[in-house]
Amino acid sequence: MHAVAGIGLRSPHLAEVAHDRPATGFLEIHAENYLAGSPALRTIEQLRADYEFSLHAVGLSLGSVEGIDDAHLERVAALAERLAPALISDHLAWSVSGGRYFNDLLPLPYTEEALDVVVGNVQRLQDRLKRQVLVENPSCYLSFAHSTLSEPAFLGELVRRSGCGLLLDVNNIVVTAHNLRLDPAAWLADLPASAIGEYHLAGHAVNDADGEPILIDDHGSRVSEEVWSLLDAVLDRYGPRPTLIEWDTDIPALGVLLEEAVRAGRALEVRAGANARAA
Amino acid sequence: MLGLRDLQAAFAGIVKGEVQSRLEAAVVGDSISAAARLRVHRHHIEQSLAAALAATFSTVQTIVGEDFFRAMARRYVAGDLPHQPVLAEYGAGFPAFIADYEPATSLPYLADVARLDWALNLAFHSVAANHLTAADLSSLPAERVAGLPLKLAPGAVVLHSSYPIDRIWQVSQPGAADESVALGAGGVSLLVLRREDDAAFVPVSEAEEAFLSALGRGETLERAAEVGFRTDDAFDLSTTFPRLLALKAFAALQHHFVERVEKAV
Repeated sequence: MHAVAGIGLRSPHLAEVAHDRPATGFLEIHAENYLAGSPALRTIEQLRADYEFSLHAVGLSLGSVEGIDDAHLERVAALAERLAPALISDHLAWSVSGGRYFNDLLPLPYTEEALDVVVGNVQRLQDRLKRQVLVENPSCYLSFAHSTLSEPAFLGELVRRSGCGLLLDVNNIVVTAHNLRLDPAAWLADLPASAIGEYHLAGHAVNDADGEPILIDDHGSRVSEEVWSLLDAVLDRYGPRPTLIEWDTDIPALGVLLEEAVRAGRALEVRAGANARAA
Repeated sequence: MLGLRDLQAAFAGIVKGEVQSRLEAAVVGDSISAAARLRVHRHHIEQSLAAALAATFSTVQTIVGEDFFRAMARRYVAGDLPHQPVLAEYGAGFPAFIADYEPATSLPYLADVARLDWALNLAFHSVAANHLTAADLSSLPAERVAGLPLKLAPGAVVLHSSYPIDRIWQVSQPGAADESVALGAGGVSLLVLRREDDAAFVPVSEAEEAFLSALGRGETLERAAEVGFRTDDAFDLSTTFPRLLALKAFAALQHHFVERVEKAV
């Protein structure tokens, strides 16, 4: 897929997108919303003829010590086969323990033990899908004292050992850096550039924890100026990639998402132009 | 050091509100304590799963209001986390939970409304499949049709309630006129169906419910009709069957079965 800007397609916009076919670079859907049959899946299949798709899973639980659930993997694989998306991704996180699903992207300690687990799960996923998947950096609200690797170092090792790609969520970098007192520029400094296959952008909320602000990755507002400016730094360092606007709570009119995608598209074009002049 | 398996198991305790001191000790706390950081996850798990239940059981939420629903849903979530990540498939146990939920005892019909919401949700997410048509049957001799174990269409299910849950459901939909429902109006049997773009229900008689339930158990058309007739001798297959066919209530015949029947003929 070219380095274009697209939007996360959510159910409140499905009928409008199907009817109006607005111009946008690509559409991303959450795999778990289309695993049960429904009229919505038929609409997605119709849209597939007109749009590039990215399939973003939220429930494979790549960090689960008990491994990926067979039945869920088969359902995701069947959907991937049906839609033949340009990109497939999930997160550096876990959400299943004891066969129970938490519906949250829960944090991993960045240890050799966890790295072995994630590498094994990612390899199993890629073997089943017969393709590379992208793994997204999560939003962190806590870190573990026994972590021995930084998050970017963990991601770098994951790429090296599993052959996966990376989905760089720029908002998540801002959220994690604020909550864990890290420097976003330092976080960004040393990633495997050729592995980066997609960028995500979204809004976050500011909540209170123990009387202090904590950033919450709620995908419920416009992309913040801090995230836009970090996107510029990301583009300077790693170059343009397919870039997605995500919005999942308090979902606004479709036009607002498309506007945000236009802004992301302009940032990509500026960078592509600069690259062309430099070449 | 907390191993990954123990660390992940400890999160289930957090959702139940337990103090997980080993987990808490493993989390870096600063001016925001480890406990406060863990609470971010607990709140997200509770809130997002309660929201998923609100989407599936939207009629129940309309009836009890958002605050009551959220409190009830959180109690359910803590005791019955999903077994898998598809949120549209979460909440099978919620109607039974509501039936036993003390604060809702003044609404005795609420669990049945939840069963209806759940059945509609299952029908909506069922696989679109070919349904049985009158033309499919016209090529078969009548006695063979009588011997067919007709299956209900994917998503189709019959429900019975001692309360007029069809009326309760209707007046609880967005934009419904502000009407009251007489709870004493009596019970109702409903057939829930997947339709082209949504799911819907139609009232059926008690005899029709018995007939459909018998088919659902794998009885032949003839035996199911007998069950219907035993329930109410006014049961008339010649009006019920075409009506249900027109509603696309039956699954298409499986080919191997039709072939077997044709060979037998």
